[in-house]
Amino acid sequence: MSRDATDLTDRRTLLKLTGGAGLVTLSGCLSTTDDGGDGSDGSDGSDGDDGMDGDDGDDGEESMGPYEIGMVDSLTGSLSAFGERNQRGAEMALSRVNEVGIDGRELSITVEDSESENQGGIAAAQKLVNQDGVPFLIGAVGSGVSLAIYESVIEGTDVVQLSQNSTGLSLTNFPGLLRMSPSGRSQSLALSNIIADDGYDEVAVTYVNNDYGQSLTDAFVNAYDGDIVYNNPHDQEQQSYSSVISEMNSSGADAWLFITYQAEFATMVNEAFSSGYEAQFYGADSVSGDSVLNNTPEGSMNGMKIVVPSAPVNEENYQEFASAFESEYGQQPTSWASYAFDCVINAALAIQAADEFTGAALQETVRRVSGPEGETVTSFAAASEILADGGGPDDVDYQGVSGPIDFNEDGDPVGFLQVLEVQDHSYEGIDFVEG
Amino acid sequence: MTVLGYLANGLVFSSIIVLGSIGLSLVYSIADFANFAHGDTMTIGAYTALVTFGAVGGLGGAVLGLPFGFFLALVVGIAAAAAVAVGTEKLIYEPLDIDSIGLLITSIGIAFIYRALIQIRFGSDFTRFDIQPLRPIESLVPYGVRITLHDVAIVGSAVVLVVGLHVLLQYTDLGRKMRAMADNPDLARVSGIRTKRVKLWTWVIGAGLAGAGGVFLGLFNQLSPRMGFNLLLVIFAAVILGGIGSVYGAMAGGFLIGMINQLTPFFSDVVEALPIWPGWLARLLESLVSIEYANAIAFVIMVAVLLVRPNGIAGEAAS
Repeated sequence: MSRDATDLTDRRTLLKLTGGAGLVTLSGCLSTTDDGGDGSDGSDGSDGDDGMDGDDGDDGEESMGPYEIGMVDSLTGSLSAFGERNQRGAEMALSRVNEVGIDGRELSITVEDSESENQGGIAAAQKLVNQDGVPFLIGAVGSGVSLAIYESVIEGTDVVQLSQNSTGLSLTNFPGLLRMSPSGRSQSLALSNIIADDGYDEVAVTYVNNDYGQSLTDAFVNAYDGDIVYNNPHDQEQQSYSSVISEMNSSGADAWLFITYQAEFATMVNEAFSSGYEAQFYGADSVSGDSVLNNTPEGSMNGMKIVVPSAPVNEENYQEFASAFESEYGQQPTSWASYAFDCVINAALAIQAADEFTGAALQETVRRVSGPEGETVTSFAAASEILADGGGPDDVDYQGVSGPIDFNEDGDPVGFLQVLEVQDHSYEGIDFVEG
Repeated sequence: MTVLGYLANGLVFSSIIVLGSIGLSLVYSIADFANFAHGDTMTIGAYTALVTFGAVGGLGGAVLGLPFGFFLALVVGIAAAAAVAVGTEKLIYEPLDIDSIGLLITSIGIAFIYRALIQIRFGSDFTRFDIQPLRPIESLVPYGVRITLHDVAIVGSAVVLVVGLHVLLQYTDLGRKMRAMADNPDLARVSGIRTKRVKLWTWVIGAGLAGAGGVFLGLFNQLSPRMGFNLLLVIFAAVILGGIGSVYGAMAGGFLIGMINQLTPFFSDVVEALPIWPGWLARLLESLVSIEYANAIAFVIMVAVLLVRPNGIAGEAAS
């Protein structure tokens, strides 16, 4: 077998290049958790009263035409599952708005596809803002896409941007970019409180080695008062995490926090189980899911606590929303659909409260109609009535189906989070916290 | 965890890598190209075993915590991986008639096809064999060794397969022909060896071992369409470290890479304990020798070995 050195070098270079290229993996900026909004089947009597037939001619003001706003959504691409739910939530909200109307006019939403990617998102936003001239833009799903749209299209204009599903921490640094879904930071804060309340003053943390894991962990480290005795990243898609598990065990901490994805977490649970380690587990929402339950042994995660973004499923307006959604689409809404729903309602209220239909005027009202001041209302119809009776934006406090909203100065809402506990190898909601 | 514990973990992980790297090296030495579809051949073995095990069930008894049905599934997985590899050789590699770089690129395409087919059938989510995971063996825990009977089964089966291959290569007619062909294909053909047939057998053995490695990887960790491909880089490192083309080198390389990978926490303990001077060097080493760089450390050691022995550990024998 003779093989000269150059041949070998060529091959080796090629191996490296191809191997490296192959390792570029899908990185999710959105934790793809499908929390099916459980326990809301108790409400009834609201089905059928919200037909989609709200667009019949409203008296004589047809000449003014509908208010046009834009929406950038992930209709295709890796986040299209979110996009589909967003569309359902947005359509329901639109029909609620148009049943009542905004000062006699209708609301119409032009939806453009971001293809779940930055370039597609920017192109869609440019079309909506520069050609259609919408003063209010709902978008987008992925945190990276939302930021890209903000930086290349929205920033420096009066147009209001309200993201429906982005949870990335970096959006907080852009106060002009509003979002309906709570920042991942609220999860970190909630986790640090829960761990401290459970009486642990030492914790071992491992996180997935990307922006998502790093940023959530940094926020946790800042918020947690106790000792963090182990804090190390791990790479995605490794074939073994037994070193991580054994180091967490030797750190001596009794509370272990996992900020990673489902497959990685399932591997770690299995390795902890087959190594016989015992600890109290905690996790961010990205480690929960049916595939984790199906692929880990019974009893291996008992008592684990996970914090997930959630709609306030015990609130009456959410239950009404959920049953209407179910009768319309045959399945429970996800919290992602409820965020999109609230985006549309919030936009409609901002338009009604504003003096004129321009970006500058909407900037004035968009935070205030759902802000903490004013009378608390839970539906568009009730809020719209106050505004029609001469109320200003500060006289209304719209409470969304996804939470109280209440944007802070960074454009983030008050996060509404559910604490899940693993009992008998399934997730049980034990508490709600505001982040 | 004690050194013994890390060594035990390393042994289990190495077993899987050794099974993968032998096949890769064997195919390289005889079919004469680096087969990038090798990792996905492992995946095929794993998923075939998953389907078979789901169909036949436990079949009554169990040995080492594994039901009999699993061993049947293992055999079917090995057979399927071999059959797919032979089919690919007959349908694609052989008719192609291009040089080894062309074949290499083709095999990358084949890898994508394998993976896509598995993904179409099973989805991209991960799954596991329907076998109750075990707790560590009680009698070993006091020594800091935390392995399960399943791990013992993985190492045991790997040893059986490796010894079997050794016997085949050294003491059988086919083994002699294979070694002859690896040394000099033209001379082998001239002296009457049917090289095409030997080549096919090489594919059967190489892919079969990969299939076994895939099944064990699934048992050790979990099954996902990318499982084999994710391990491929490590397997290539093992093969190159051992001396590409050499079967015994691949065994040594796979063993070393797997061990280093799992021993990294021990190395970082050692670095922390050593009185390194000056302080900045100690801090630098402490931050570099940590488990998040386990693969990188294994590769650095690989590069260091290659600098001393450019053809790998068993390089002399190979060239």
